[in-house]
Amino acid sequence: MKLNSLPLTYNIRNVFVRWRTTLATVFGIAMLVLVYVCLQSLATGLQRSSRDTGDPRNVIILRKGSSDESSSQITRDQFQRLRYCPEIATAPKGPPLISADVLTVLSLPRLDGSGSATVSVRGMTPGGMELRPQVRLVQGRWFAPGYREIVASTRVAQRFLHCNVGGTLRAGGHELRITGLLDGGDTAFDSELWMDAEVARAVFELKNYSSVLARAASSEAARALMVRIASDKAQPLRAEPELHYYEQQTRAALPIKLLGEFLAVAMSAGALFSAMNTMYARVGARTREIGTLRVLGYRRRTILGSLLLEGAMLAAVGGVLGCVGAMLVQAWLLTRGTSFGTMDFSTFQEVMFQFRLTPLILLKGLGLAVAVGVAGSIPPAARAARLPVITALKSL
Amino acid sequence: MTISSFIFKNALRNRRRATLTVLSVAASLFLLVTLLVALREITLPAESLGAALRLVVHNKTAIAHLLPVRQRAVIEHIPGVEAVTPFTWFGGTYKSDESATFAQFAIDPKVMRQVFVEAHMMDREIRAFERANDSCILGTLTADEFHLKIGDRFSLESREFRCTLAFRVVGIYAGTPDDRNMFFHQDYLDAARGHPGTVSMWFVKVKRAADMPGVIAKIESAFANTSAEVKAQSERAFQLSFVSRWGNIKALVIWICSAVVFTLMLVSASTISMAVRERFRELAVLKALGFRWRELLLCILAESCGLSLTGAVLGIGVACLLFQLGNISDLSHGIFVRFQMTPRIIGLALLVAGTLGVVAGIGPGVTVARTSVVAGLKGLD
Repeated sequence: MKLNSLPLTYNIRNVFVRWRTTLATVFGIAMLVLVYVCLQSLATGLQRSSRDTGDPRNVIILRKGSSDESSSQITRDQFQRLRYCPEIATAPKGPPLISADVLTVLSLPRLDGSGSATVSVRGMTPGGMELRPQVRLVQGRWFAPGYREIVASTRVAQRFLHCNVGGTLRAGGHELRITGLLDGGDTAFDSELWMDAEVARAVFELKNYSSVLARAASSEAARALMVRIASDKAQPLRAEPELHYYEQQTRAALPIKLLGEFLAVAMSAGALFSAMNTMYARVGARTREIGTLRVLGYRRRTILGSLLLEGAMLAAVGGVLGCVGAMLVQAWLLTRGTSFGTMDFSTFQEVMFQFRLTPLILLKGLGLAVAVGVAGSIPPAARAARLPVITALKSL
Repeated sequence: MTISSFIFKNALRNRRRATLTVLSVAASLFLLVTLLVALREITLPAESLGAALRLVVHNKTAIAHLLPVRQRAVIEHIPGVEAVTPFTWFGGTYKSDESATFAQFAIDPKVMRQVFVEAHMMDREIRAFERANDSCILGTLTADEFHLKIGDRFSLESREFRCTLAFRVVGIYAGTPDDRNMFFHQDYLDAARGHPGTVSMWFVKVKRAADMPGVIAKIESAFANTSAEVKAQSERAFQLSFVSRWGNIKALVIWICSAVVFTLMLVSASTISMAVRERFRELAVLKALGFRWRELLLCILAESCGLSLTGAVLGIGVACLLFQLGNISDLSHGIFVRFQMTPRIIGLALLVAGTLGVVAGIGPGVTVARTSVVAGLKGLD
């Protein structure tokens, strides 16, 4: 007689035998998953804030050869030419929807007194706000064109001194008054301060704009605009969809991603050895039992499969615990309204972002746990399945 | 059979388990030391010899904004100032390789020796550097990495200043905490940019350390309410301010470090104690033979500490080897440069391993000590 599968309850009941060592292994795997999932959530939050920034209808124009706004320059003359391109949408009875931006930086002292950090300041010509509908004013009023006024994002205000309504910032011997707070809707604009482009050029002594953002009338018009700009060899400019531009700007997430990957590998190794040890002990103690199962007619591979399943189940319990822990972390962060800040290590500017837990990350975490569990069970399970029946039955 | 060989034999009785235990402890300690080294690198910039007498002057608005050259003469006339050099970040890429991670600065070669006392070079190299306008000097580490030697020519493309400059290597220096930078003539850069009259920073050498606070205050007030207000800081404070920009990342690493250590201690401790629990009966026999509980506890502790310290040595050793031989700068995409193991970190890791051994052994050890011989002999598993 050949029996094809062992009942699942056999494994489930066995989980509770030797619960002390089992518990430690489960806890270890839970911690591995917790750390992995949390770091992935941070990296995702950082990448998302950049990825979700663009508007599908917008086209960004930079100087040729510049990969980002901070190293790009657009002259006033170039901007005037671009303004009247026919592909650009116009507001009803209004001017074309196009804005020249000045992107510069300002050093601000931190609220918690731990030194200062460099924060991005964006100057925009009138119309810049309309092109970015995801950004809302939450307090006070917008800056008035021509005035030394500036609007900070709420996340900047939470982290830096003098950034609330009524505060003043000093830049190049001038004072900039905060007139309002904006909410960037979890985009890269959450890390910025906004002001008038001409005032920014005067205060920061900049000759040129950094970039131009335009709303195309339709998606065909957007393509036509990009072709027009690329084919105008006299002007060293390039255009790309705003969405595409912000998808590229995710370098700030690199340190967190590297840390996450390193920890995932090193902690998995540790958890793997511990899982192997536990499974060896669990299987070793059941040698006679397994021999009996063989006598009863269960096949080697049935027993192997059953033991692997047991290892996977153990690890999955740890994985679920880790995922629940990560969800608790997210809930806790949400109730406290904590946002994170780190340095984009290529521009040295502070970027602010949210912890973002997604179902995919949870699945990956569970997958990692099960993989560790199965890999740790293979050697002991194989050994148990290979053992000759007589030896197994004779063992104590 | 001596007691020590008895402990040794016991520890290795189940070879497979001993190996796995040692490996899991090794993995956790490898992780611990790596995180500690990384944390040290992002929190503590290297301290250099001349730093106590140097201060950095940069634009108050933000470091990325430039300063006008007219400031140099003003700073030079402040009492207590010995020398001033421009320090302009060029941000060039070598052979259009984005990952080439060495910084290049334009300075005034004439005062180089006064300001950067710790950079050692041969006299004729210094003279050659002062003489030729297109010359540059490299740190030994960079020279080795890119196989550059004296007499070689190469060019760098700067996105910051939109220009490509050709350089000739005339000297290779060593002796600074991070011999990776390249220095060249500010005049050469100015000529390429059409003499805009701007630099990124000033490095100022003061005569005595006691002059430092006064000089800082005088420099800052000299340019107050001008279009280029400045912030002057000691070099150390300047470096620490860079470090603070990592923001929450630092706290995150510390948090993870403690979570990881706690978990792995728990896991390894449970494995080690598993080995002891399985021998309850045997230990009861030893007790019956007349061994006292103190001796048994010591045996158990010696075994568990031995296992965990072996793991520690293995983990720390692998980490040391990796940091020495591996190219950490490449692996981390240029985020980490030095990645140095210090005796302090090794000591801390060994302490953690020792504690782990004691914690793992003490639980079952005490149970053995408390259990009566009869109960121990009766017990199964």
